[in-house]
Parts: sequence; structure tokens; C-alpha cells
Amino acid sequence: MTTEVLKEKTGRYLRGESVPSETRQIQTWLSCTMDNKEILPAKEKTKIEAEIVGEIHAYIAYSTFNPEPRPWWKKITAVF
Amino acid sequence: MMSRNFTPEQDLIDKLSVGDGPALEELSRRYSFPLYSYCMTKLDSPEDAKRIVRNIFISLWENRDRLPENFSLSVHLYTEVRKSVVQCINSKLKTSTNIQSIERKVIPGFSIRELQKARQPVQNSSTQKSRYYLPKITNRNYEEHWWNKLMPAINLKDLKQGLQSMLNMW
Repeated sequence: MTTEVLKEKTGRYLRGESVPSETRQIQTWLSCTMDNKEILPAKEKTKIEAEIVGEIHAYIAYSTFNPEPRPWWKKITAVF
Repeated sequence: MMSRNFTPEQDLIDKLSVGDGPALEELSRRYSFPLYSYCMTKLDSPEDAKRIVRNIFISLWENRDRLPENFSLSVHLYTEVRKSVVQCINSKLKTSTNIQSIERKVIPGFSIRELQKARQPVQNSSTQKSRYYLPKITNRNYEEHWWNKLMPAINLKDLKQGLQSMLNMW
């Protein structure tokens, strides 16, 4: 398979237009996790986890203190 | 030392649906590394893996008030991470970024041999041994089983004849 074919296939898959064989091919690839599994040391795992959780925490804190302005139609519907 | 939280997942989801930030943080702490690890096996890019995991939890936070009645977090995460991996590959191919990495890492995974491997049933590794001793089952003949030596073989025809003769006697 070439990158061009893969681009077409993934594009069709995301748009929900792929044929069953393509869907099966992509889903099988997504399910295959037997090889190339790297075992990271516990320290590295903790570091990665902390980084991701930290970013999520920052986003939650920001969105809590800076909520998105509600559009006018949402304000009106909230009254009812 | 990392503190551990043993709150059941359903309680955390209930808290999340009413806008409890620490509940989402706890859920992300539980699932972020397995999701990151999965993305790494597929994309081999730490930046993309982190971004995908972060975006999945952020979108969960943004849709917290629209969670369905019987919401399954594991199913949701499983679906989202797979979709995000495909989206990431597709956008990389569209923008022609890191094509070499895709050619090296992703394309070989689509070979027939690799896909056939995925369809094979999961097998225990050779190092893992059974905890219980199971006797070796051999294909023995009918006569070799000791209980068949003590009891004569019952033929259905003989049984029928015996019953008929008993009925005739009555």
C-alpha cells in the first residue's frame, strides 16, 4: 500500500463511505497491538501521565474561570 | 508518592456529569497512560499521542452535560482513540507532514501478514505456565477404561428386547 492509497482509504473511513473490506482492514490494523509494544520504566510512565493530567487540569481550570460566552439564542431558551 | 483514589468509576462519571473537575482528573489519571501507549504503538509520535489523549478528555469535559443514560467510559474512550488515530494519520497525509514516519511505521502494518496476525486468537506466551496440573488426555479405546471392564456394554437393541420381554411377562 502507498501513502496515497492510505490517504484515500482513511478519508473514506472517516466520512463513513468506505466499503466493508476497507473498514475491516482499517479496524483490523487498529486492533492489532501485539508487536512494537515498548515497555517504559515506571518513572517515565508517571511523568507522561502527570503531563497529560496537568494539561487537562489547566484546561478545566481555565474553562471554569473563563466560561465561553453563551450565544443570545441559548440565553433566551434558558429562560423558558 | 502518588495518592490513589478508589472511587468507583460510575461515581466519578456521575460527578463529572454535574461538572466536577477533580472527577475528570481522576478518570484521566486512570486512563491516560493506556491510551497514550496505544497511540504510541500506532503513530510513534509522543506529541500526537499526548495531544490525542488530552483532546479526548477535553471533549468529554465539554460534553459532560450531554452524557447518555447508560454511558460506558471504556467504550467511549476505545471508540474515540481509534477514530482520533485514523484522523491523525489522515491529516498528516493530507498536509504531507512526517510522511517518512508513516511509511516506516503505519504502511507495514497494513501488509497481509500483519493483518492476519491480528486475526489469530490470543495465545499465552511460552514463558507463562499453567498454575494447575492437568493430566495428559490420551485417546483410549473403549475397553481400556476400567469402568467399561466392570460393566458390560449396553446395546440399545438388547435393552429394547429386554423391556419387551418384561412387558410380555406381565
